[in-house]
Amino acid sequence: MIKDQPRARIAIVEDEAILREDLARIVDQAADMDVAGIGDTLEAGRGLLSGGVDVLLIDLALPDGNGVDLIREARARLPAIKIIVVSIFGDARSVVNAIEAGADGYLLKGAGEQEAESAIRTVLEGGAPISPAVASHILLRMRERAAGVRGEPLDAPLTEKEVNILNDLAKGFRYKEVARLHGISPHTVADHVKSIYRKLAVNSRSEAVFEAVQAGLIRLND
Amino acid sequence: MLTSPSTPWRHTWLLAAIIVALQLALSAGLLWVNFLVEDIPGRRVDAPLHAVAQSANYSNLPDSAFETVNLPRGVCCDRTLLIYRTTLSAEEAEMHDAAVLIVGAQDNAHIYVDGHLVGEFGRAEGQPANMARRPQLIRLPAALLHEGTRVDVAVQRAVGFGHLRPFHVGEYSALFNSYVALRFLRSDMPFATGVIGVFVAIFGLCAAPLFGARGLLFALAGLAASWAGQQVALQLTAPPWDTLISYGVYFTAFLSASVCAVWFFVEWTSVFEQRRPPRRPLFALALDPWSALARKRLAIGAVSIIAVGAAFIFWLLLRDPSPTHPMVVAQDIDRSLGWIGLLALAFSLVRVLAYYLRGSARDPIEGSAFVFVIVAAVADIAMVRFWYTYGVFLDLAVTFFPLALLLSLAVRARGVFEAATANSEKLNRLVDEREQVIRTAMDEIRRNEHAAMLLEERSRIMRDMHDGIGGQLLGLILQARSHKVSNDALIGGLERSLDDLRLVVDSLEQGEGSLTSALGAFRARIEPRCEAAGVELSWEIEDVGATPNVGPDKTLQIYRILLEACTNALRHSGARRVTVSLRRDDAGHIEIALRDDGRGFDSKLTSTGRGLANMRARAVRIDATLDVTTSHHGTSIVITFSA
Repeated sequence: MIKDQPRARIAIVEDEAILREDLARIVDQAADMDVAGIGDTLEAGRGLLSGGVDVLLIDLALPDGNGVDLIREARARLPAIKIIVVSIFGDARSVVNAIEAGADGYLLKGAGEQEAESAIRTVLEGGAPISPAVASHILLRMRERAAGVRGEPLDAPLTEKEVNILNDLAKGFRYKEVARLHGISPHTVADHVKSIYRKLAVNSRSEAVFEAVQAGLIRLND
Repeated sequence: MLTSPSTPWRHTWLLAAIIVALQLALSAGLLWVNFLVEDIPGRRVDAPLHAVAQSANYSNLPDSAFETVNLPRGVCCDRTLLIYRTTLSAEEAEMHDAAVLIVGAQDNAHIYVDGHLVGEFGRAEGQPANMARRPQLIRLPAALLHEGTRVDVAVQRAVGFGHLRPFHVGEYSALFNSYVALRFLRSDMPFATGVIGVFVAIFGLCAAPLFGARGLLFALAGLAASWAGQQVALQLTAPPWDTLISYGVYFTAFLSASVCAVWFFVEWTSVFEQRRPPRRPLFALALDPWSALARKRLAIGAVSIIAVGAAFIFWLLLRDPSPTHPMVVAQDIDRSLGWIGLLALAFSLVRVLAYYLRGSARDPIEGSAFVFVIVAAVADIAMVRFWYTYGVFLDLAVTFFPLALLLSLAVRARGVFEAATANSEKLNRLVDEREQVIRTAMDEIRRNEHAAMLLEERSRIMRDMHDGIGGQLLGLILQARSHKVSNDALIGGLERSLDDLRLVVDSLEQGEGSLTSALGAFRARIEPRCEAAGVELSWEIEDVGATPNVGPDKTLQIYRILLEACTNALRHSGARRVTVSLRRDDAGHIEIALRDDGRGFDSKLTSTGRGLANMRARAVRIDATLDVTTSHHGTSIVITFSA
């Protein structure tokens, strides 16, 4: 138990009661975490967003909408908040969508206590969990964007190093293994992954703006 | 159906009219000048004497040769010397500056004053020894003149149609204007048209290689060069070569003009025409378009005739010793060439008439050019032959003929271009329509394919669900209902079901990319189990590149085989390390292996046997071979397939 660290306050948004309570129980039992609030809809989740929340655990499939909207809102209102997607399959498409909206990591539903706790802690400590499927999906998406339906260059293209690291992660190698392959520390690998996540969000935002301008929803003043 | 050029350009008629009008106007002008110069001041001497025809050597003729003869017109021109004689009156002898204007010395002319040759004396300009140049204005030496002085102009006819022209006696200054006008008609204008001929010849030669109708342009160039050659031979006052050479050049050029005229008109009436059904060869030769091969033979024939003819002409003129006087030979050659020229002209006329009668709406520009050139030739012959004046029309026609032909060619090119544009537009439209049809068909096909794909995918997922999670859940429910299952077994069973569902999701997600990342995703599924069982997972994945043939179905079967193998290794073998590897061998086959260092298994055991049979069935389903080797030192399961 670490006394001198402030206890992390964790909000949970999940519509399935059993899973919600399971998550709350795991958080409660963890030594340095508290449940800041529980919601079962987007609306309720919105009410939970306040300065006091450190981590948001959020399901994507909510009865009144897609969790990705709440992630985007939370990221805009509370830039420092850590957001973890809770997913039943951890399927790459939805996870990457969430990362683009501003999520920091993901957690499989029904994960064991230890697994869940360590995932939350990793994110809290600034880590960036990534699964091979997510890595390969990011690569695919970046390639598609770089090839560019519209030929627009990416605002934040991935560096060669980042692409190589993503490639190795997609093959199933862990942080430690990737670090050894590239002769860098696991910490640096995590930094790279965080940078990749950020770029993903940036590109996604600029793309959204571009599309909005195209659709006439936004007018840019020059 | 593609369109073809049919309607002539509407300004064509206007252009043709302008050209014809210009030609007619200029011809009228020339005709006027021609008659004007007939009104020559001074006394006209037009009573010729007939000299002894046998005496070819006329330059030192004795006076006895000059006997008065009344010359009938039909006989006049046959190998004769013609002598015009007059006696000067007292006023003429007293004239300040008496001169003789020789109008029609088509050929050599010599002047005798009281039997003395004075041809070299007092010439208006130039110094031709043989006075070949026309016209001639010559002063009579005052010392020799007195009342009753006999003046003879002796002409030997050699070249041309043999028009007999009188000479005029008068004051030099009074005759000079007539001399200038005559010189313009007979010398300056032919010189100018000769220059035009040179330009046309050069143009034809240069344009022929660039242009489709090569034969036509070569023939035109030949025609123009022949014209220019005739002018060179006739107009050169003091040629750097012998008179006989000059005659040779003229005759060769004349022959060449006749041959090239035939060649040109055959080309013109063939190259723009469609082949006609065959008929009697003689008719076809005279009237119908010639084939490309025939025209090629004609070109070769034309050049050969000119070459052989030139050699023959020069041989006749220059052979030494000659049985007859060269001048007489020249006269014979000239007469023969005249007939050849007339035949060529007739043949051309027949072809051109046939050509224009055959086609209803021919190009009026070229029509006017042809009509004019033929009419001009006929008119010139008539003028020379019957009125003893100079022919002026052919010179003019030669000036306009190439111009009209060029215009006509340009109009043709325009028609071809317009037709090509129209055709290409039509083709474009056709292509567009076809493209629309094809696109519609392609859309239809794509929709069908899409529907078929969806159906296949749907049935596959149904099968997967049925095969995996459906059966498992149903079994669990039945067991739970009959209370035959422990809580742990229920949890284990449900976990397996969820795992299988996750594998299905993974296979759907990863199946489209590469097997490398598909296996990468798989690691996240089995690693927690290995960790829970305290077994180290060794990951040896090579990048095997894109595997487009490994779809979600194959991926899922591979996942299930690997999961089964992994579960067996963890549960029964007591292994401490499990190695998963992926590589592509030299033959391009993909090899996926799962090896453990456990104690192996006995395949006779029922449960293991069923698991193995399951794995084999899945391998067969994806056309893969499954090799299982087991010993006390471990088990390896290798899936091999081509991708």
